[in-house]
Amino acid sequence: MFFALTDDQREFGSAVATYLAARFDLAAVRTYFEAPSSDDAGALDGLWKAAGEQGWLAVTVPEEHDGLGLGLIEAQVIARALGAGVAPGPWRGSVLAVEAIRIAGSPEQQARWLPRLATGDAVGAVSTGGPVEYGALADVVVTAEGLLTGFTATSVGSYDRTTRLATLEGGTVEPLPGDTSSLEARATVLVAADLVGIAREALTRTVSYDREREQFGVPVGSFQAIKHALADLHVGVTMAEHAALYAAHAVDAGLADADLAVSVAKAKASDVALQSTAAMIQYHGGIGYTWEHEAHFFYKRAKRLAGQYGTADAHRERIAALTI
Amino acid sequence: MDLTYTAAEEDFRSELRSWLAANIPAEWRRPGFWESLSDEESFGLRRDWERDKALAGFAGIQWPTRFGGRGGTPGMKAIYDAEMVLADAPRTVNPLGLTFLAPTVMAIGTDAQREEIIGPMLRNEVIWCQGFSEPGAGSDLAALTTRGVRDGDDFVVNGQKVWTTNAVHGDKIFTMVRTTPGSRKHRGISMLLIDMHQPGVDARPLKQMSGASEFGEVFFDDARVPATDVLGDVDDGWRTAMLLLSFERGASGTSQYTEFRRQYDEIVGVAKKLGRDTDPVIRGKLARVLTELECLRLHSMHVLTQTEQGQDLGFEASMTKLQWSETFQDLWEVYDDVLGEHATFEDLGDLDLKPLNAQAMWSRSVTIWGGSSQVQRNVTAERVLGLPR
Repeated sequence: MFFALTDDQREFGSAVATYLAARFDLAAVRTYFEAPSSDDAGALDGLWKAAGEQGWLAVTVPEEHDGLGLGLIEAQVIARALGAGVAPGPWRGSVLAVEAIRIAGSPEQQARWLPRLATGDAVGAVSTGGPVEYGALADVVVTAEGLLTGFTATSVGSYDRTTRLATLEGGTVEPLPGDTSSLEARATVLVAADLVGIAREALTRTVSYDREREQFGVPVGSFQAIKHALADLHVGVTMAEHAALYAAHAVDAGLADADLAVSVAKAKASDVALQSTAAMIQYHGGIGYTWEHEAHFFYKRAKRLAGQYGTADAHRERIAALTI
Repeated sequence: MDLTYTAAEEDFRSELRSWLAANIPAEWRRPGFWESLSDEESFGLRRDWERDKALAGFAGIQWPTRFGGRGGTPGMKAIYDAEMVLADAPRTVNPLGLTFLAPTVMAIGTDAQREEIIGPMLRNEVIWCQGFSEPGAGSDLAALTTRGVRDGDDFVVNGQKVWTTNAVHGDKIFTMVRTTPGSRKHRGISMLLIDMHQPGVDARPLKQMSGASEFGEVFFDDARVPATDVLGDVDDGWRTAMLLLSFERGASGTSQYTEFRRQYDEIVGVAKKLGRDTDPVIRGKLARVLTELECLRLHSMHVLTQTEQGQDLGFEASMTKLQWSETFQDLWEVYDDVLGEHATFEDLGDLDLKPLNAQAMWSRSVTIWGGSSQVQRNVTAERVLGLPR
């Protein structure tokens, strides 16, 4: 029995976290968050270069196409670290485009796209009908019909400014010959992992603040009302971490309960991220409600992602359908 | 990631499964069978069956062979716990002894204590009780006032213990006793191994809200215990108790998941019978609790992994307790929601609800015993998250 991350997998996550802390910290996130869309050009160049150089984009690309040949477990490790850093950028869309082309693309499509997606020379995205994450930066978008290129993108407003959205028009579609049915599960796992990363970081930052912040002459974290809420969150976030890890494994290994595992992961991660980020605001007190504080980056990103690839309620209905 | 058991562990599973299939009488599985017996009959049946199981080699799974154990792996213990549930095997009658006392005796007992205590416990010749809680010392165990005064070669014990599981069936009780007069808090306490079959010990049943009497209270009125029957050092009982309680860690989430998941299916069965399985509110509630049950299953795999890697779970055990006990309670609250206007009824047509109602009642207790949820949250907040005391 080994239900855990290996040392290598753990180090992969630490490397992403270390890079973000040094080179794209919350001050950089703030600059990006506050910039008007028209100022986006170049804002992510350094981060994107690192994503290409450090293998964040190549993670699931097969070695024959210049990738690392790893799986969804490693990808969810990266997704967690990016969520914890509320990091912007089209990483998830690119990795999911890789997954679609890897699983369902022709050899020619794979040779054409995978090496470029692995280095970050090409940007990928996924469309599920609504606004597309980083549609304006994407070279290729995976849609229900296949690979979309040559479209025009129009930016869409969202108060989660850690991510940019766009609607797409026009372009040409080239079908993917294979079966893309597992793509939604893969996307759901990576969104759940981002939410888990958000939830853990929001909790860690809140604990750290409440150990220091004094009222009535003592740290507010010594009050049982706060302790119990944070203890419950720690349990919840830990369970969501287990659930995201297991779902990644279940999808990659094609386990019989993969559908259930994915819905459990997304339902749990969505709930706990919303709870943890709301608690981050509440247990920072007034400062947590200000624009100046970073709590709203976490809260807003959680709000948006909780609704992507099925809300918690929608996944609970799937869980009910699978178990009742 | 490797979610499989080793070949040796799977062999153990088959062997155990065959033994259980051959040795659990069919009528024991008949609904209402156990309820039809008196407490005395039921206890006696389980006591004898468990002895036979031990003699067949299916006890002390992880204990060293020199103590009569099987010398198995943590994986075998997880398999054992789950298979016992799947086979509808009777619950152990010696839970406090097997879970807590035996490993403590193996760790710090004298050779004579190891000899006298472990074998007879495995064969259920001696049923052990735990004497910790008192009327004035529940979550605050260090407030205990039961006192033991040295008199020649003995301690003479006076006081009262409460919430004592199997009090009326007990033969011996490992008891936290203040052996230094006037000592305070966790100093001056010893863990005494007291014979319950003596005039100075009086065990009385307590009737629980479920109507059952699984626990009771134990009164000590000049009870005598030889000074050699101290586990650990005299006046060092707090350390002994902390060691003893640490053996609850790694408590079997696998078997709890197995058991609770079956109960989930039973509750779903009730929902279908009432036509409430299509009610979106009920479906949402069931799915919410199923989500937590799946998390419990994954958490138990995490715990097993940690155990196999030789890592001490430490205060993470509080998280395990919170997850299983709160989820179990939530599960049975959903049962009440499913019943709706039928809540509290004892049957539903031909369906006997009494066993389900008993579980629903029991679910109120699990967030209290073994460290209440409030205590577990304090531990998690202070010892794991590092929030100030």
